[in-house]
Amino acid sequence: MEIYLPIAEMSVHWLVILGMGFAVGYLSGLFGVGGGFLLTPLLLFYGIPPSVAVATTASQVTAVTFSGVLAHWRRRSVDVMMGLVMLVGGLFGTALGVYVFAVLRRMGQSEFAVSASYVILLGSVGGLMLNESVRSLRAARLGQSASGKKPGQHNWIHKLPFKLRFRQSRLYISAIPPLALGFVVGILSAIMGVGGGFIMVPVMIYVLRMPTNVVIGTSLFQVLFVTAAATVLHAVDNHNVDIVLGLFLILGGVIGVQYGVKTGAKLRGEQLRLLMALLVLVVAGQLLIGMVARPDDLYSVTVGKL
Amino acid sequence: MAPASAQEDLVSGVSQDVVQITSNYTGTDLIVFGAIEHAGAAATRDIVVVVRGPDTEMTVRRKDRIAGVWINNARARLSGMPSYYFVAATRPLAKIASPDTLALYDLGLDALAPETVLSDGAAEPYRQALLRAETRSGLYRQEPQGVEMLSPTLFRVRVPVPASVPSGEYNVQVYLFRDGSVISAQSTPLYVDQTGFARRLRRFAFDRPFYYGVTTVLLAVLLGWLSSAIFRRWN
Repeated sequence: MEIYLPIAEMSVHWLVILGMGFAVGYLSGLFGVGGGFLLTPLLLFYGIPPSVAVATTASQVTAVTFSGVLAHWRRRSVDVMMGLVMLVGGLFGTALGVYVFAVLRRMGQSEFAVSASYVILLGSVGGLMLNESVRSLRAARLGQSASGKKPGQHNWIHKLPFKLRFRQSRLYISAIPPLALGFVVGILSAIMGVGGGFIMVPVMIYVLRMPTNVVIGTSLFQVLFVTAAATVLHAVDNHNVDIVLGLFLILGGVIGVQYGVKTGAKLRGEQLRLLMALLVLVVAGQLLIGMVARPDDLYSVTVGKL
Repeated sequence: MAPASAQEDLVSGVSQDVVQITSNYTGTDLIVFGAIEHAGAAATRDIVVVVRGPDTEMTVRRKDRIAGVWINNARARLSGMPSYYFVAATRPLAKIASPDTLALYDLGLDALAPETVLSDGAAEPYRQALLRAETRSGLYRQEPQGVEMLSPTLFRVRVPVPASVPSGEYNVQVYLFRDGSVISAQSTPLYVDQTGFARRLRRFAFDRPFYYGVTTVLLAVLLGWLSSAIFRRWN
């Protein structure tokens, strides 16, 4: 059955939308990322107008992350303190990012900026994760302890002031790195239209050295608030949130995320990171091909005023 | 357009004067039909039917290869182009009338001339690109043999209206040509509008955007919680 989307002004097959929501929700539950970086390209591929795709994705990510946060909350794998500190940085970052995006849009280069930042960020994050997870998987097979995370290890982060105790993560570190991380992710999420979990998760693991199980719940916690705010902002500023599209994406998403969380609990940290690294690299590669391959039509049309 | 033959005239109608876009709208077909009164010789007579949606402004961008990457490098802003355009005729338009006549009545994709608000370089390639893109998406359509003659004087045209048409006031125009010039024309307005639930949602989104956004978030949170609660019991 086809349904009509009142904001996108087109009709879509509800099962396709439900399926996309489910698939992305599953991966979200598995990896602890919002999934916006997967859903937005999927919707574009299906022919949803870009601005509606970006804005409506935010509402789906809100639902999926809320569901995920609840699941992690019950397993006590959310570091609320860490999440709140990052959120403060995130809100400032989002404000700056919205401004930067408006400037890029006026220059007519927002599309290129989005693709380029996706490729650079996903490519480097994916490469780092792939390298690390392969190494720790190999180390585990040889019977050595993984070199990836040693909770007691000291690095430059421990020399910074304003230390806070993050109980859930069993960390006593400065508030500056999580604030800065939230800020940077806020900027990126405003520009790229995603929650930013796929950047946050690796930084929390490798730089902040939080335990992997707490990382996922905590990043979902932060993404929840960022995307909820983004949904409302998009609705107010651009009138481009399609609630009918959102409903089907959300329905698929919240069911998918439950299965994802269950599968995720069975897999080991290194395996999870290896899978996510591969996924991230595939998306980056896809986007890179899109940038260097000659388009079918060199011209593109945008209806309406800029 | 003084009639060349005072007798020969046109009556036409549309199967519906309102297209209502409901929650399960997937596109529809309009039927434009009509008859020729006091018909003269059929050989030099032609009928052209045009359905035109509200005009809009469009931005067309061209990508160029810069440092190995395809980047939007040039653009044109074209206004006065219809958001929907359908034309059907009894013969290919070029055989019916001269290019000047076709341009005068905006008949055929080739005759659609936008007002160029701004353009990097010549506007023509951008116009061509726009026609290509709109034809691909089904919003522009040209059917040289789309006017079906049911009898020597009765005709019928099937007009596909895809789901992606914008709302607004449309215009159905029927032209009767004799020896290359218009001897009669009829214009009927047609309204495309969202109705029922779809319309109410759209109103909500535009009239009360903040509450609409908050409603969307609450819907998201509610469904997220619901799925979580259901799966917990199920496990």
